[in-house]
Amino acid sequence: MAGQLVNMSELAGHVSDGSTYHLPGFLGHEITLPSFCGLQITRFMATELVVALLMILLFVPLAWKMRTGKPLKGRFWNLLEVFLTYLRNEVIIPSIGKKDADRFTPFLWTLFFFILFCNLAGLVPWFGASPTGAIATTVVLSLATFCVLVGSGMKKFGVVGFWVGQVPHMDVPLVMGVFLKPMLFVIEVVGLIVKHVVLSVRLLANMFAGHLVLAVMLGFIAATADHLVLWLGVTAASVMMCVALNMLELFVAFLQAYIFTFLASIFIGMAQSHH
Amino acid sequence: MYHNVLTHAEFHSRKFKRAACIALATLALYAAAPLMLFANQELDEGDAKLNPLAWQTDLAIWTAVVFLILLAILWIFAFGPIVKALDMREKSEMDKINAINKANSDAKELLLQYQTQISGAQEEAANILADARAAADRQKDDIIAQARDAAAQERERAKVEIQSATDAALQEIAQKSAELATDLAGKIIKRDIDQKLDDDVIRDAVEKIANS
Repeated sequence: MAGQLVNMSELAGHVSDGSTYHLPGFLGHEITLPSFCGLQITRFMATELVVALLMILLFVPLAWKMRTGKPLKGRFWNLLEVFLTYLRNEVIIPSIGKKDADRFTPFLWTLFFFILFCNLAGLVPWFGASPTGAIATTVVLSLATFCVLVGSGMKKFGVVGFWVGQVPHMDVPLVMGVFLKPMLFVIEVVGLIVKHVVLSVRLLANMFAGHLVLAVMLGFIAATADHLVLWLGVTAASVMMCVALNMLELFVAFLQAYIFTFLASIFIGMAQSHH
Repeated sequence: MYHNVLTHAEFHSRKFKRAACIALATLALYAAAPLMLFANQELDEGDAKLNPLAWQTDLAIWTAVVFLILLAILWIFAFGPIVKALDMREKSEMDKINAINKANSDAKELLLQYQTQISGAQEEAANILADARAAADRQKDDIIAQARDAAAQERERAKVEIQSATDAALQEIAQKSAELATDLAGKIIKRDIDQKLDDDVIRDAVEKIANS
């Protein structure tokens, strides 16, 4: 019986991507997502689409309300504005500098809210795990950051100027410089790439691990279904632990979105000046 | 009742032990559950779904497309205008702050001017008051001096008048006395005087003198 209930593949199905939404029995068990032109829509794709629409529905009216430059009315709009102004004034401007910050602010705001809403979507019951718990999503986001960084750096210093600027200035004899500078260039470029890989892996690991732990805890309930006494105790403990962990996940959702945006701001800021 | 029998320390000690027992039991249950989970025959450890690094190209492309379209839409319709609005607000607030600072410095300057004017006016008022007091004192002294002079002159004039009146009276008395004496002498000469007549004449003369 336990074998039928506890299936690692099924457990993973709740954590990773899939083409079906698992619903409670009275709602029809599951909904299978459609495919278009050979592309199977998955839960993460649907979540990203919902997140994008939600962001448009939230921030376009906010921009409309803010267009006059006068203070906003209403707690919700003020809350959104607090997020935006905090990121701009406390994260983006200190990292990039007042002069260049506004060129990157829309990108970094989009990045932050896209990650945050994706993270939070993973906490909504029956919505599936977070799309940021998939390496494909986080790599694309860090790749976007990398492209903005390299693009803005090359626009500012020129293609050659940007890449040459990756090597720190050294007062060494010419003979040593011929050997050292190419090595340092390779190290710096690899470092630049690694920083972005780490950026994506950090977000992925945090979100995936949180959902996996939650799934495993709930899996304990199914695992002990054969033993009534054990099942009662484990169920109570699992539910309490899951509630506590969900609180933590709520915090982690904000924290990871903040860290990703903060580090992206710092990396972009670093590209706006030579070593 | 139970709580009353135990001391405070014992109560808390037992409470702690009970909590520790519950925690240990929970841990034991939690230790047993994974054992049962991993003892499951249908466990498929090689399932690729549990690999967090499993790459999904379609999801990556989808994410890139959704993110780029979202970025473009938000840049044009939301975040771009919001950045401008925030800049506008910042500029407006800075202008207001500058205006307030300028108004404040102007007010301070004006206050300083007013204070200077007030202190000048107070000094001027004090001078005017002092001058007025001095003028009043001088006027008072003049008036007193004039009054004294006038009184002295009046007194002198009164003395002169009294003296004149006295002199006139004395002169009149003398004149009357002379006339009476002349009259009396005439009467004495023209009449036969006896002792009784002498007395009458004398008494009459004295009464006339007295009446005059």
